[in-house]
Amino acid sequence: MTSIAAKENDDTELLADDQPQGRLARLARLQALQIVLVLALIIVVFAVLRPTTFLTPFNIRGIVVNTSILAVLGVGMTFVIITGGIDLSIGSVLVFSGVIADKTMLLMGGKGWGTAIVGIVVACLCGLGWGLINGVLIARARVPPLIVTLGTLGMALGFSQIITGGIDLRDAPDVLVNSVGFGNIVGQIPTLSVIALLVVVLGGIVLHRTRFGLYTFAVGSNAEAGRRVGVRVDRHLIKVYALAGLVAGFAGILNLAFFQSTTISGQSNTNLNVIAGVVIGGTSLFGGVGSIFGTVIGLFIPSVLQNGFVILGVQSFWQQVVVGAVLIGAVFVDQARRAAALRGSSLQFPFLSRFGSGSRKVNR
Amino acid sequence: MNRKGAIIAGLLALALGLTACGSSNTPAGGAAGAGPIKLAFVQGVIGDAFYVTMQCGIQEEAAKLGATVTTNGPQKFDPSLQTPVLQSVIASAPSAILIAPTDVSAMQQPVQQAIQQNIKVVLVDTTLKDPSIAASAIASDNLGGGKAAFDAIHQLAPQGGKVLVVSVQPGISTTDDRAKGFQDAVKANPAYQDLGVQYSNNDPQKAAQIVNAALQANPDIVGIFATNLFSAEGSATGIRQAGKQGVVKVVGFDAGPDQIKALQAGTVQALVAQQPALIGRDGVQQAVAALKGQPVTKSIGTGFTVLTQANLNTPEGQAAVYKSSC
Repeated sequence: MTSIAAKENDDTELLADDQPQGRLARLARLQALQIVLVLALIIVVFAVLRPTTFLTPFNIRGIVVNTSILAVLGVGMTFVIITGGIDLSIGSVLVFSGVIADKTMLLMGGKGWGTAIVGIVVACLCGLGWGLINGVLIARARVPPLIVTLGTLGMALGFSQIITGGIDLRDAPDVLVNSVGFGNIVGQIPTLSVIALLVVVLGGIVLHRTRFGLYTFAVGSNAEAGRRVGVRVDRHLIKVYALAGLVAGFAGILNLAFFQSTTISGQSNTNLNVIAGVVIGGTSLFGGVGSIFGTVIGLFIPSVLQNGFVILGVQSFWQQVVVGAVLIGAVFVDQARRAAALRGSSLQFPFLSRFGSGSRKVNR
Repeated sequence: MNRKGAIIAGLLALALGLTACGSSNTPAGGAAGAGPIKLAFVQGVIGDAFYVTMQCGIQEEAAKLGATVTTNGPQKFDPSLQTPVLQSVIASAPSAILIAPTDVSAMQQPVQQAIQQNIKVVLVDTTLKDPSIAASAIASDNLGGGKAAFDAIHQLAPQGGKVLVVSVQPGISTTDDRAKGFQDAVKANPAYQDLGVQYSNNDPQKAAQIVNAALQANPDIVGIFATNLFSAEGSATGIRQAGKQGVVKVVGFDAGPDQIKALQAGTVQALVAQQPALIGRDGVQQAVAALKGQPVTKSIGTGFTVLTQANLNTPEGQAAVYKSSC
C-alpha cells in the first residue's frame, strides 16, 4: 500500500529527486550499515582469534578473489529477486557458457587475445540466450520462475554434459588465464576482482539510478500497479532474466579463466549460495526491496566464515550451519519489517519503520 | 534497536561459540621451524571413506613424529570448491600441506601459491600437470591395481576364458590406468581373452545393460573387472539378469563401506583395495623430511590388497578395509 504511493511519488520525482534528502539518505546508510556490521563483527572475531594469519594481505586477497565470481552472479540475481522472481539456473548457465566458449576457442585454435575476446562474447551470448528463454517462459508463458529456472538448470547442465561427455574441458587461452584469471592490475590487486567490481558498480548504477532499475522495483513491489502507470511488465521481466543470464554467461568465462576448467560438477550449489548472499544482503524474496551493495556484503559473509573456520581448524561443515542461521535471521528481519509496514504501526515500532523508509529510499 | 541488537548478539554468540570449540582442537602453533611442525591435509572431498582412511594414516604418523595436523576439504570433488579451502589453509600458515588435487590443471596455480608462501607441498593420491613443484607425490600405482584385479580373476576362474572391463568413462586417469593394467595382464596370459573396455558413465543401469548384452554375445565370459562401485553393482545386476550368478566373477575396486557390503553379499567376489592410510603415512614422512632438509622421494607408488570373502575377516583383511572414522 505504502509502496504504491511511494512508487507514484518516485515516478514524478525521478528526475527532480537527484539530491537525496538528508534524513532519508542517513537512514539508507543505516540499513546498509547493519549488514556491514554483521560482517565487521565476524571479521573482528576471526582477527582477534588468529591475529597473525587472518588479516594478512594474502588472505584478504584470497577471500576477495574467491568471492568475485559469485558477486558477478549476485548482480543478476539481485535484479531477479527484486522483481519477486528467482533464478535457479545460473550455475548451469555458467557451466554451459564456459563449455561453449571453450569449444569455440578450441576450434579457433589461437592462444591470443583475438580468440579470448571471441570466447568472452560467445559466453555472454550463451548466457543471454538462456536468460531470454527463462524470461519469455516466465513472462509470456506464465510458468512460475521456480519451475522455469529449475527446468533450464537441468537443461543447461544436461547440454553441457552431452557436449563434453561429462569430462571437464581445459582449453582457456593462456592470455585469458594469465591476465584475467591470475593477473594483477597493480601490485597485488587481482584483475578478476577489479572486473567483478566493475560489474557490481555498473549493476548498482543501473538498479539505483536508472529508469530500468526503478521499473525493476516497481514490478517487484506491485506488478499490477506498475502496469497501470504504464510499465510494460512482461517485457521488463524478460529483460531482467536476460540480464541475469548475461552476467551468468560472463561469469562462465571468468570461471573458465580462473579454474582453467569448466567445473561441470562443481556448480550444483552455486545458485543457492548466490541466493543466500542476496537475501542475507537485505533483498526481499517477496520483491520490491534490495540493493547490489547489500548483495556483495551478503556474499562476503559466507566467504569470510568459510575462510575463518578453515584457518581456525573448525570442521568446514560448521560453515553451512552458521550461514544457514544468518540466512534465516536475515529473512526474519525482512518479514518483521513487512508485517509492520502492513499494519501501518510505524509509530509503535520506530526502529522497523525507519528500516522500512530506509528501504523505500533504495527503491527509487 | 532492541530486536536487531538481539539478532546481532545472537549471531555473534553463535560465531564465538563455534570458534571457541574450534580453537580447542587446534593447538596454537608458531611460525614454521619454531615449536611443533604444523601440517595441513586438504582432502579431495570430505566425508569419503578413502580420504578419511588417509586422514587416519596422516594423524597416526604425525603424532609419531610430533607434528600437528588439521584436515579440511571441499563438499564435492571439484576445483572450484577446493580452491577456496586451499587458499584458507595457506593463509593459516602451516609448515607443510598434504593435498589431493581435484584437477590436474586447475589446482596447479593455487598449489603454486602455497609454494610461494614457503610452504612445502606433498601430493597424495591425485596429482598435478606439473608435479615437480611438490616435494613429493604419493599415489596408488593404478596400473598395478589393474594387474591385481586380473590376478584376482585368475584365482577365482583359474580355467581361463573371456574377460571384460566395465569402466566409468574415458578420460579419467585413474580408471583408465586400472583398465590398461588389467588389459596388459590379460594379454600376457594366453589362457584369457580380452573383450575390451565398456563405459557405464557411473550408471549402474547402464553397466547392467552392457553386461547383459555382452553375456548374450559371449556366454562364456568368466570374469568382469569393474573399475568403480557403480560399475560393479550394475555388472552384478546384469549377471543376475542373464542367470549367470556364481559363474561369472566380478572384481571391484576400493574397499569403502558400500564395497564391503557388496563383497559380503556376494555381489562381487573380490575387491582390489588401495592403501590410503599408507599413502597418508608416506606423505607425512616426506613432508617432515622436506621440512628438515632431508632427502625426499619425488614419486612413490603404493600397492594393493585383494579382498575376498575368505580373507575379509582376517586381521590383514580388516586392515585393508577403509574407515569411516579414525
